[in-house]
Amino acid sequence: MENKEKLLAGFRDHMGRHGHPPASVPALCETLGVAERDFYLEFGSLEALESSFWEDLVAKTVTAVEEGPEWQGFGARQRLLAFLFAFLEKSLDVRTVLLFRFRSVSPLCNPEWLRGMERRFKEWASDLVAHASATGEIADRGRLSGLYPAAFYLHLRAVIDFNVKDTSMRYERSDAFVEKSTHLAFDLLRTQAIDSAFDLLRFFAPWGHRAG
Amino acid sequence: MAAQSTIRSSRLGRMAAFAGTGARVGINYLKHYGQRSIGSGVDENDLHERNAEAVYKTFSELKGGPLKLAQMLSIDHNLLPAAYAGQFAKAQYSAPPLSYPLVARTFRREMGRGPLEVFETFCESAAHGASIGQVHKATRDGRDFAVKVQYPGVAESLRSDLRIVKPIALQVIGLRERDVENYFREVETRLLEETDYTLELERSMELSRASSHLEGVSFPRYFPEYSCRRILTMEWIDGLTLDRFAKGPADQAERDRVGQALWDFYEFQIHTLQLFHADPHPGNFLVSPPGLTVLDFGCTKKIETLFYRRHFRFLDERLLGDRDALEEALVDLGILLPGDADASRARIRDLCAASIAILARPFRDGFFDFSDPSFMRSIYDLGEQNRRDDSLRGLRGQRGSPDSIYVNRAYFGLYSLLSAIGARVKTRLPAWLAT
Ligand SMILES: Nc1ncnc2c1ncn2[C@@H]1O[C@H](COP(=O)(O)OP(=O)(O)OP(=O)(O)O)[C@@H](O)[C@H]1O
Repeated sequence: MENKEKLLAGFRDHMGRHGHPPASVPALCETLGVAERDFYLEFGSLEALESSFWEDLVAKTVTAVEEGPEWQGFGARQRLLAFLFAFLEKSLDVRTVLLFRFRSVSPLCNPEWLRGMERRFKEWASDLVAHASATGEIADRGRLSGLYPAAFYLHLRAVIDFNVKDTSMRYERSDAFVEKSTHLAFDLLRTQAIDSAFDLLRFFAPWGHRAG
Repeated sequence: MAAQSTIRSSRLGRMAAFAGTGARVGINYLKHYGQRSIGSGVDENDLHERNAEAVYKTFSELKGGPLKLAQMLSIDHNLLPAAYAGQFAKAQYSAPPLSYPLVARTFRREMGRGPLEVFETFCESAAHGASIGQVHKATRDGRDFAVKVQYPGVAESLRSDLRIVKPIALQVIGLRERDVENYFREVETRLLEETDYTLELERSMELSRASSHLEGVSFPRYFPEYSCRRILTMEWIDGLTLDRFAKGPADQAERDRVGQALWDFYEFQIHTLQLFHADPHPGNFLVSPPGLTVLDFGCTKKIETLFYRRHFRFLDERLLGDRDALEEALVDLGILLPGDADASRARIRDLCAASIAILARPFRDGFFDFSDPSFMRSIYDLGEQNRRDDSLRGLRGQRGSPDSIYVNRAYFGLYSLLSAIGARVKTRLPAWLAT
């Protein structure tokens, strides 16, 4: 096993067993029999390691959905749905870590260890937004469209938040939540209502146009 | 794609929706009385019509439980003014679709494989909606399949839905909770059973095997290897749902044939098997060239012989002429209670005698013409009359057996379907009564 994989797996095991990240780089390296030097060749810090761990989950999800036989025919709404369902599916492999980590953070805060996930997801969401504009599923709002990936990221965090609190059998209610909230998101992005809201915001915001 | 976005998910959302209905119903009453005071002469039916619309709107926005309950209530016209019933009956055809990714997700969650790993082709959009799921068409090895996929979380939210819908339903219908508690309990049990497709599969196979000798009735083949808790796979049947058939150009002979098959099927189930398909609404039957195909054994009801005998004793014409025997039979069924005063005792007895006389009519002469509209009319009128009867409203206590809900529902559904088709059928009394 490559050192990188070994360290990521070691991190997961540690979280699973102890419910918190390893205390230090040397502590983790010792249990795994990896030289500290090799750790730093892969990651700058423990946060960077964890960040890469969550980024990996998103990356694996992306690969899994994009390989699906139906992917090419999907519109943006269906792609987002497929992504979120696949994410829930994949996250089962790291359910314990997910519970420890996400039960205590609000979907609104953005700790250091989530940077990788955020970056990777927003990258993917930008493509999604481009696809959505091409299919006409959402209205193009010029510069404001740049905010969409951030909005989708918040949605992802809300889904995770719902899922870690879900007690239904096989997390069926999480599936229902994904379905309903995604429809809502796309409906909002399609209608004029949100344009007016943005317009108003822009009017008041310091960076907005003052013309009126 | 235009999958629906307004299903409310949280309990709070549902509460809000129902509260909204309450308000709308209230507003309609206000309007009604407002109009009445200025003397524009709106009748009460009008009001029912508008309230039904409001209640129905709410029901149809909510997936799962309420829709199911609405459907169920719609068949029991004795419990609902005709106007509500009409609106609720529409509910079954307005189910919003699940997105294809959710269907695929359900496959993976429940079977560990996507739809295209199980089937060769799988139609992404649903062929039919259903109240708690939807039906997709799929193919494999040259065969066509109907694959019913359930909405996620339906089973989970059913109980809480019922808890919310109950007080509103009661208020709308104008009944006391205590008096219909066992009615609701029975309905809840059946509803929860319907969310378990594994159970439905077993029963479908069991009932279709037991009824396979009946003429003119057939059943789709079921495929346990492609079915599970939330997915039910059967053979695809081309055909017209019973309501479309009824409205179509079929000639009298064909109507009689389909009607007879339906009658025989119910007679066999209720009087011989004492286990029956308790969901006789038009979407559950398809008419195709070889005859009638029965779908959907999600709602089946088993009755005990003791109850069966007590219930169907009323088909005996002699009983209606004999007051004491009739009262005794009503006590046995729990419709008359030991504490009833003489006056209400007589009142209930007479009302029951009137109901039985109408409901048993098809059994009387060995032949019955359901195309005669006056028959259904008299059933509706009877229900309306009982509903408006203040002396009945004042009666306390839980009456009757919850088992009769589904027997009545089956017969009422059967009569409605036969009337819609306009069939003339050969009938007969069960052997143990025909002496
Ligand atoms: N084997 C089949 N072949 C073709 N169409 C079918 C088949 N099974 C079901 N359908 C269609 O799908 C519709 C819904 O199916 P079904 O009645 O089984 O669903 P349900 O969830 O049990 O709904 P409900 O409780 O309202 O009956 C039917 O009305 C029928 O038109």
